[in-house]
Amino acid sequence: MGLKFLIVDDSQTMRRIVVNSLKNLGYDDFVEAGDGKEALVKLSADESLNFVITDWNMPVLSGLELIKAIRSDEKMGKIPVLMVTTRGVKDDIIEALKAKVNNYVVKPFTPAILREKIDAILASNGGSN
Amino acid sequence: MMSVENMSQLFAKLNDLKKVFSYGERLIPVIHSLGEFMKETVPLLENINKSIAESTSKIPKASNQIQSVTSATELATTEILDLVDVLNADLDSIQKCTSDCLEKEKDKEDFLRSLIPNLQKENAKAFVEDFLEKNRLSSNLNSVVDRIKKMKDDTNSITLSLQVQDITSQQLATVNHLIESVQDKLASLIEDFDNTNINDSNDKINLPEGATFDPNARYSKSSANQNEADTIFNQSMQTASQAEIDKLFN
Repeated sequence: MGLKFLIVDDSQTMRRIVVNSLKNLGYDDFVEAGDGKEALVKLSADESLNFVITDWNMPVLSGLELIKAIRSDEKMGKIPVLMVTTRGVKDDIIEALKAKVNNYVVKPFTPAILREKIDAILASNGGSN
Repeated sequence: MMSVENMSQLFAKLNDLKKVFSYGERLIPVIHSLGEFMKETVPLLENINKSIAESTSKIPKASNQIQSVTSATELATTEILDLVDVLNADLDSIQKCTSDCLEKEKDKEDFLRSLIPNLQKENAKAFVEDFLEKNRLSSNLNSVVDRIKKMKDDTNSITLSLQVQDITSQQLATVNHLIESVQDKLASLIEDFDNTNINDSNDKINLPEGATFDPNARYSKSSANQNEADTIFNQSMQTASQAEIDKLFN
């Protein structure tokens, strides 16, 4: 099964940049959400979504809270989540790790970094997604 | 009749009273000066209060200006992204046309070469090869393909550089948050001073509801933060359990 991404960011600009980067990496299936709550609604409604790329700072429900919500859900719990955020300080990275994020990209990112992290996540998941 | 002892107590008290009066007499100029000082200070304090109130009333305007800068840059960024998308679509189309031309060029060359054995003239092969050499387009077309690829890389770089908009909007949100805190402090100061509630005024800070931001957001091409994230993740990969991750970082 191919990857179907859920891109979660309150900035429309960032969502477009992530989508464009993924297109350049050869992916073409995307759904977008403007905050964590909307993301959870879309994840519940569409079981084919199998990879989440999320920002941290968002209104309503933050990226960190989104990861915790995903991990605590029986159905969605194993969906790979990549955090793409400006938060680059050690404590934040550790907090995300404790919430069981699969990998972490600090903005501004490059397509090479994005590819590297997606590949690493897929490899560690045994390519199941 | 009062005893001698009582009389001496009375005189002692009168003496104390006299001292109080004489102290009071010396205090009068001081109190007078204090009054004068207050007379001069109160207008000064009122002036300070007025200045603070005036400055405070300008804060929402400054904050809203910052917010409008964020909105304007977001709009401009969207326009640039739209144009980049159009440019990329055009480049894709040119790339496809060029690839088709290259393909046809190759077919044409193959066809002409296939004619050689069927031609009667001695110098037919030389003639065809000379013709192909003089009319060869494939190297030009390959060069066009390379240029298109470079242009697409450049448009991607433009797109990636636009991440600066998200990062600066978070920096501006941090500034706005600080401005809002200053406004609140000054407002409560003014309220304590003369019961004026400046928050009742028409000028209010209109920040987006539930706005969140990273106060440390920076646009930097340094990979230091990414390297740190990678190091932490690599360390965690080598540990097996959450307890071990906690142990590692606590």
